[in-house]
Formats: sequence, C-alpha cells, structure tokens
Amino acid sequence: MAKANQKGSSPKTFYWILGVVAVLGIGAIALAAMGGDSGMVTEPIELSDVGDAAALLERARGIAIGDENAPIKMLVFSDFQCPGCKHWALQVEAPLKADLVESGQVQLVYYDFPLSGHPHSFIVSRAARCANDQGKFWEYHDLAFAQQEQWSYSRTTPTDLLIEYAQTVGLDMGQFRSCLESDAHAETVTANQMLGAQLGVRGTPTVFVNGRQLQNWNDFQAAKAEIQAMTGASAGATTGT
Amino acid sequence: MERMTEPDAGPPLNRMIAAVLALIGVLISTYMLLYHFGVIGSIVCGTGGCQTVQNSPWAKFMGVPVPLIGLLGYGAFFVTALLGTRPGAAADRRIAAVLIAGAVIGAAFTVYLTYLEMYVINAWCRWCIGSAIVAGLLLVAVIPELARLRRSTP
Repeated sequence: MAKANQKGSSPKTFYWILGVVAVLGIGAIALAAMGGDSGMVTEPIELSDVGDAAALLERARGIAIGDENAPIKMLVFSDFQCPGCKHWALQVEAPLKADLVESGQVQLVYYDFPLSGHPHSFIVSRAARCANDQGKFWEYHDLAFAQQEQWSYSRTTPTDLLIEYAQTVGLDMGQFRSCLESDAHAETVTANQMLGAQLGVRGTPTVFVNGRQLQNWNDFQAAKAEIQAMTGASAGATTGT
Repeated sequence: MERMTEPDAGPPLNRMIAAVLALIGVLISTYMLLYHFGVIGSIVCGTGGCQTVQNSPWAKFMGVPVPLIGLLGYGAFFVTALLGTRPGAAADRRIAAVLIAGAVIGAAFTVYLTYLEMYVINAWCRWCIGSAIVAGLLLVAVIPELARLRRSTP
C-alpha cells in the first residue's frame, strides 16, 4: 500500500468502484424498503359470512390442552402483547396446567383476542399458530410471553425475533417461515377475536370456567379457589389444597 | 535538505480505500436508520439480534439514534477521504488529521457498541458487526496518514 500511496492510483477505477458500491447498496436498500413484509399478514382481516354465531364458531378455533372429557372447561381469551396476559400465562396458567390440567380435572382452551392497541399481537398469535402446526403451540406460547418485553416495544414487525423463538423451540424453520410470511391462520385469529367479542370479552385475559367468567385471574391460589367454588369444589380435590 | 512532498501521480490508494469503506458504512447506517424509523418493516439479520439491539435502550446514544450517528460519521469521513483524493490534496495535513481523528473516534465508539452487544444486551446484530469491521479497516486504512502528517511538517 505504501508504494501505491507514493505513486498514486487510477482515479477512474476508484470512481467506478464507488459507483458500483453506491448503486448496489442503494438498490438493495430500496428493495428492502419496498419489499418489507409483503405477503405477511400482521393484522385482522375482513371475514365474510360470519353473521351468525354458528358460522363464527365454525371459523374460530381454540387450542386445547388437557382431557377433552374433563369436568371443567376453561376458555382463555388472551393477547400476546398484554402484560396482564403474560402474568396470567406464566404465573397462573402454568401452575394451573401443572395441577388441574395434568390431573385431568380441567381442559384449557386458548383463544386469540388481539387488542387493537397492540400492533404486534396479531402476528404473534399467527406465529404461535404456525408453531401449533408443528405441535409446539404451548412451548412457543410460553416463550413469546416470557420474552414479551423483547418484541413488544419494537417499532416494526418483530419478524426476526419470532423466527428466533421458533428456532429455540425446535421448529422446522422452512415450514415455520413460509407459514409466518403468509396469511396462514389470519382467518382463525380474526374469527377468535370476533368470537370473544360476541361472548362479551372486553379486555384480556378473560377466562371462562364452564361458561362463567373467572374474576381472580391474577393469583394462582385465588384462581384455584374460585374455580373450586364455581365447580362445586371438584377442582383441587386430588391435591388437597 | 530537500523537503519531501507527495508525488502528484494520482490519488493516494489508502484514501480511495477509505472512501469506499466509508461509503459501505454510510449504506449500512442508512439501512439501520430506515429500520429504526420504521421505513423498512423487517430487517434482514438471520437472527433476532438486530431487532433486539435496535429495540434496546442502547439503540440511542444521548438521545440520538446510533445509526444516525453512524450515518453522519461515515458520511463526514467519506467526504473528507474523497476531498483527499483531489489532485494536490495528498500533502494536505488537515485532511490527514481529520481522517486519523475520525478513524480513531469511530473505532472507539465501535468498541463501546460491541461491548454493549457482548455484555449488556447479549445479542449480536450482524449489521453492527459489519459496521465494526468497516470501522476497524478504516483504522488500518488511515495508518499512512501518520507518515503524511510527519512529512508535511516543515
């Protein structure tokens, strides 16, 4: 380089290189700016033919865990971007699953209820359902809630983080990516949201226990006691608490 | 004794290399800045590291978005290096001094950002690593400027 510095170099080649780098770089940035999230659905879609409850029920789809013949059925309407839902999912629902669901007393069914003020809630619901396609909804659900602060404040769609979580829970990445970067499950998530609205859900989390709304959703023991009271004390009988 | 001057056969190679590197830095910073302001919806990163870094409190330095600092820094360096390739500018001490100062400040800032990624944010952004490589190469590219500074001293 020292020798070249002494002699100097061809400015023509230099300007050519500068030009090529500039054109390629600006072109790539322009493509990225225009391409963005094309094809990836990040918000609720228009649904037709869902005027009556029966039609909506056909389109809505919960994700269940536990014995389908369990005496207690819990419907959970939740929003991945809601801090209260994170508390519910990790502090209350998790021990409930380990206790009442594992023992066969409760079947828990998850429904999406992305609130309009949460810009990333819908896409995370879709991502979790893409994970569900590979049988790992609950793993993804737990991780997305655990990492809520990481993606929740993103100014843009947190696609890369959602992909990273998929990798963490061990999904087939090709399948997950093509699911996420499409409109897959957009209809179901929208239908779930509409179903919740028809059932009177106004905020999240909203939990129905055999059709009645659970009030003490923010404390495991209180929730369990209320479930026992609502269902004739059948819940918790096996654990004696 | 005859005073040593830079032969004016063409622009110094190190400044041309520095200009190309700084232009790459400008492009990386522009991409990150467009993502920061939401113009680009999704960043191509390979991992979630870029989003983690960009969404962290350290995405701003004293209230200014880090990519904007990068854009201004690389932009100023690019212009200076380009000016240094003009005929007769090889012996200009001011250009040599600005290039050295710019490269050192840029490298120091890069060390700070890399430290944050490694020990505080615990996430690696590939574009930040790319920028760090550019900053490191710029530091190497300005080494001949030290000799130029000495030579130009009367």
